[in-house]
Amino acid sequence: MSAAILAELETYRATARSWLAAHAGAYGAAARTGLNEAQDLELGRRWMALKHDHGYSGISWPRDMGGSGLSPLHQAIFAQEELPFDFPIDYFTISLGQPAPIMMHYAPEVARRRFVKPALRGEQIWCQLFSEPGAGSDLAGLRTRATRDGDDWIIDGQKLWTSWAQYSDYAVLVARHDPSLPKHKGLTFFWLDMRTPGVTVRPIQLADGSRHVNEVFLDQVRIPDTQRLGQIGDGFAVAMHTLIIERYAAGADETGYGPGLGLLLHLARSARLGPGAALDDGRVRSAVAEAYRLQQALATARSKAFLEVANQREPGSEGAIHKLVSVRARQRMSELAVDLMGPGAPHRRDARAKHDWVASWLSAPTGRIAGGTDEILLNTIAEKVLGLPQDHRPDKGIPFSEIPSRG
Amino acid sequence: MSFLPTDEQIQIAEGAQRLLAQSYSGEALKALLETTGRYDSGYWRSCSEMGWTALAIPEAYGGLGLGLIEMAMVADASGRVACGAPFLITSYMASQALLLAGAEAVRSEQLPWLASGDKIGCIAFAEDANPIPPDPQVRCEGEAVYGCKRGVLGGVHADVAVVLASGARGPVLVLVDLSAGGVTRRIVNTFDNSLGVADLVFEGAQGRPLDAACANSVAWDVLDRAAVVVAAAQTGGAEVCTAMARDYATTRRAFGQPIGRFQAIKHKIAEMYVANEIAKANCLEAALRLDNRLPEFTALAAAARLSATQAYDFATREGVQVLGAIGATWESDMHLHMRRARSFASVLGSRFVWEDRLVGALETSS
Repeated sequence: MSAAILAELETYRATARSWLAAHAGAYGAAARTGLNEAQDLELGRRWMALKHDHGYSGISWPRDMGGSGLSPLHQAIFAQEELPFDFPIDYFTISLGQPAPIMMHYAPEVARRRFVKPALRGEQIWCQLFSEPGAGSDLAGLRTRATRDGDDWIIDGQKLWTSWAQYSDYAVLVARHDPSLPKHKGLTFFWLDMRTPGVTVRPIQLADGSRHVNEVFLDQVRIPDTQRLGQIGDGFAVAMHTLIIERYAAGADETGYGPGLGLLLHLARSARLGPGAALDDGRVRSAVAEAYRLQQALATARSKAFLEVANQREPGSEGAIHKLVSVRARQRMSELAVDLMGPGAPHRRDARAKHDWVASWLSAPTGRIAGGTDEILLNTIAEKVLGLPQDHRPDKGIPFSEIPSRG
Repeated sequence: MSFLPTDEQIQIAEGAQRLLAQSYSGEALKALLETTGRYDSGYWRSCSEMGWTALAIPEAYGGLGLGLIEMAMVADASGRVACGAPFLITSYMASQALLLAGAEAVRSEQLPWLASGDKIGCIAFAEDANPIPPDPQVRCEGEAVYGCKRGVLGGVHADVAVVLASGARGPVLVLVDLSAGGVTRRIVNTFDNSLGVADLVFEGAQGRPLDAACANSVAWDVLDRAAVVVAAAQTGGAEVCTAMARDYATTRRAFGQPIGRFQAIKHKIAEMYVANEIAKANCLEAALRLDNRLPEFTALAAAARLSATQAYDFATREGVQVLGAIGATWESDMHLHMRRARSFASVLGSRFVWEDRLVGALETSS
């Protein structure tokens, strides 16, 4: 890569950083303290609009779609710089991460024009109706039915773990149009308005007390065939496409979206264990050393993937490794931190995982499951990188309706 | 940070891998295990003929003036074949000690010999489980060295040693000609004999003190650099074991299918791969930091060391397990790596030492 491109990226980084720092007071961690979720979401919408006004929302998206037409590297740099300030962006991450790019890719021109820009500005939020009670890691085992009725489809079923559905205006959806086909082949992809009659959203409280995921019931929901994305039967391919879109390059965080090593060092210095500081204890030092070596390696691997992309090469399996290693490490670090804080470790309900060890520890299990479980990631590495055989899959190639227990 | 290797670096790495793979013989290496005092002379000849001994020595002293990145790449290739001699590493350590603390006269005399491979160097710092004893038992009185350094890597064959000893005003580094009087080598029969481990007994051996104002800190600088070289060798070895496990798991069948289809096996191998990637990343990053004089080298060198030790241990321990009983036979090459993984895990100090080194570096920098 030419030094000129690298220099340009670093200039972009410096500009972005100072712009972010200038707005941290009004939109960042301090501004969010004490807000209820409705207020926080409103702050988030204003933040997204401000970002869009300044070309920082949809950085790598085409200009005629409301983006800034820059590279995925610019996007990754901005995401990296934005993360530490703790801006209220969670509500929009999935919306802009998967459904909006899919609309950009598969929707007809008129729908794209209508939907993409409001999503970029945080005026509208999209969710992703994928997982179901009986279909998580095995997404293609989903049972929500799409039945053709003239020019429409009737959708019936139940979705689960849908992030931010309670605030979503629109959704992308994958459903089964033909149970007589093998499970991957009988799926079709749609988009829909969440206000369509028959859509009911019910928040689910997670173990950490948060309520960002939902059950979504679809009861005789009628949507026109014009809201189909991709061909009939291409649903699984479209869904897989959404799951791999720039998830890694867009801003993976070595801490697994938990507190940084600096906070652990600070805690281990101030907590007393035995005659001195906890950080003087060999077992604590061992844990700190492990956290450091894992996080450093992930940061290096990400920089390398970044350079590879900048040099028009395909990065490898860094994304899967990053998620697997960073979240497991975060869980262990958080356990250690809570141990060091002792039984009086305060649990603040509005605390966020990036800054609070208890919050990080309580939500770490979700991190190891959502967006690809550890086990699925290990399978991905084993099969895609190392060429090991696929697991035994007795449901392969047979009609979905004949799979035992599905019937 | 990170970097993509240059074409020249890729050539060095691939050239070394190709050459060493061609001359690899598991049988020859196993023969070396059963005897003391022998090493793979063919491998060592390659090291000097290919210029690997000269890589990290400045051109002014007959070297090639390259850096830790290139050194790590060749070490990686040597690690892949569980090479049958330790001198690339031990001479590297001796030459780095001389570069960091040797007077010009000593450097210009010794470094060309080490660069050409005509002489073999080693270091004798460690005592007990301390790779750098704060208060060495070995003494240097004037220019005479007394005491015993146990378990010196390469000590059986080295021509010169840089010894960490207690002088009149605290620790000193002393260059000792091991062929001169006052030095006795006691060969130790180890589980990895081609590493040529010996106890060095000094009874008034003639030594030349180096210039280090703070010998311990120079000794640590040498170990930090060596840690990256050894980490590269460990990582290379770990990758070979991972490939052996992978190959076996795709061909060996049990219960009507390749065993690699069972997650108990495939996840183990995927975890090996992940550990190797972590080690590689830290290793190359540490080398990059030293070669470009960027901050945080010490912590990253320790991170490379810890990650590579973990990766090689894991890949050999679980690699044997994937191969099943065949992996635990003399015939399998897996035990060559299992032995080497353990040797390398202890050779510059155990993980406990390096965890302290890493956290110590973080404490002083933050």
